[in-house]
Amino acid sequence: MPELIAPLAGNVWKVLIAVGDKVEMDDEVIILEALKMETPIYCDDSGTVTELRVKEGDAVEEGAVLVVID
Amino acid sequence: MFNILKELIYSSGAVSLTGGNLVMWLVAFVLLYLAIKKKYEPLLLLPIAFGILVVNLPLTFLMEPEHGLIWFFYHYGIEQDIIPPLIFLGLGAMIDFGPLIANPKTLLLGAGAQAGLYVTFFAAILFGFDLQEAGSIAIIGGADGPTTIYLTSKLAPHLLGATAVSAYAYMALVPIIQPPMMKLLTTDHERKIVMTKLRPVSKLQKICFPIVTGMTIMLVVPPAAPLISMLMLGNLFKESGVVERLTNAASNELMNIVTIFLGLSIGATMTASTFLSPKVLFIFFLGLFAFVISTAAGLLMAKFMNLFLKDKINPLIGAAGVSAVPMAARCVHKVGSEANRRNYLLMYAMGPNVAGVIGTVVAAAILLKNLG
Amino acid sequence: METDCPKVLEVFGSGIIGVFLVMILLQLLTQLSTRVIDVVEKWNKDDEAQAEPKK
Repeated sequence: MPELIAPLAGNVWKVLIAVGDKVEMDDEVIILEALKMETPIYCDDSGTVTELRVKEGDAVEEGAVLVVID
Repeated sequence: MFNILKELIYSSGAVSLTGGNLVMWLVAFVLLYLAIKKKYEPLLLLPIAFGILVVNLPLTFLMEPEHGLIWFFYHYGIEQDIIPPLIFLGLGAMIDFGPLIANPKTLLLGAGAQAGLYVTFFAAILFGFDLQEAGSIAIIGGADGPTTIYLTSKLAPHLLGATAVSAYAYMALVPIIQPPMMKLLTTDHERKIVMTKLRPVSKLQKICFPIVTGMTIMLVVPPAAPLISMLMLGNLFKESGVVERLTNAASNELMNIVTIFLGLSIGATMTASTFLSPKVLFIFFLGLFAFVISTAAGLLMAKFMNLFLKDKINPLIGAAGVSAVPMAARCVHKVGSEANRRNYLLMYAMGPNVAGVIGTVVAAAILLKNLG
Repeated sequence: METDCPKVLEVFGSGIIGVFLVMILLQLLTQLSTRVIDVVEKWNKDDEAQAEPKK
């Protein structure tokens, strides 16, 4: 089950998907905010979102799991 | 009745207005526009612009030595070098040396970008500036406002307004100035390089870094002490985690307070008679040159380091060696993600970015030692 | 104004070399202190690991 990992530390600015959504490779799924800059995080697999580990406003560390995709 | 009116007119500033004053008003209004409408470094440009405006109202004597209100701000804050170190205290309390500690090689990138300063130093001499003036102009390439102000106030105070404004203006223009240079000097392949993950940095390391680095710099180049000591103290506040109130005071209230006096004083040095000379135009031109050359020097340094490194670094992060924190790092991140949308360079670029702050201070201290 | 050429070269040379030397020194010191701290933290961890069973 592929997991989408936070590539850098920051705050979750926007979550653009919900559990159950179908996502494609390279879809924008989450926007992180670090150093007052919005950084879109792209999906690196296709499938269905089974779990959202973060919500808007959360602070995430680098390497944290953001989304689980099946 | 008529006489009173006549006296009122003659004692008013309006009759003493010069054409130069009017030009400076225009400069002030342009800066106000850039600050308010375009939001270019408004925290500084706005007080600077207002300072320019009021000092170019005749007979207000705001900058009259020993009398004027703003003169006192200027005298104690800048001539006596109080404000730039206080800004550094706040800066230290805000920046995270973590990415630098995790990847100490990036210290060299911070040094690489400073090479651009010395090229500009040469160029300024060719343009007919004297050594002290050339040093003050060159430091603009370090893209560090407080350091520029600190050095200029010691070496060439008459250029203060011009060097400070160009430093802050170019810092705000990083996203426009740097990308063309970045694209020119790196290949698409290089921009796509994804860097190896940074090692985690423990709290103890973060506490030791400001102490060890600060002591070393001050032992080797003592003229750096006022800026470096405050920078490292601020950082120690933050990393120690036991004086949160001091961290907040240094990075919020104190920083905001001194920023007001800094901007106002810098603006007030720009009277028509000092500012409206061809020299100032050259300073803006040379400042831009300094900025571009420093960016290039950082990029080339990164490419040079790649010749020896097994884990290649993305040469874009070299451009963050100019110290405009965090604008330069953001810019690197953006250009990197344009080449490869899965490339998140922000944190990697913060390493050379904070190294650039240290590098600029060291470069300024060495200039001060040789020219002061 | 006369330009003092040797002085210009001196400032130029000592500046570039100086900045690089200081930054290389800092790099070495940072790497060294990172190593030392790694070792110290490992000791501490070992100590804790040993101390805990005694409780």
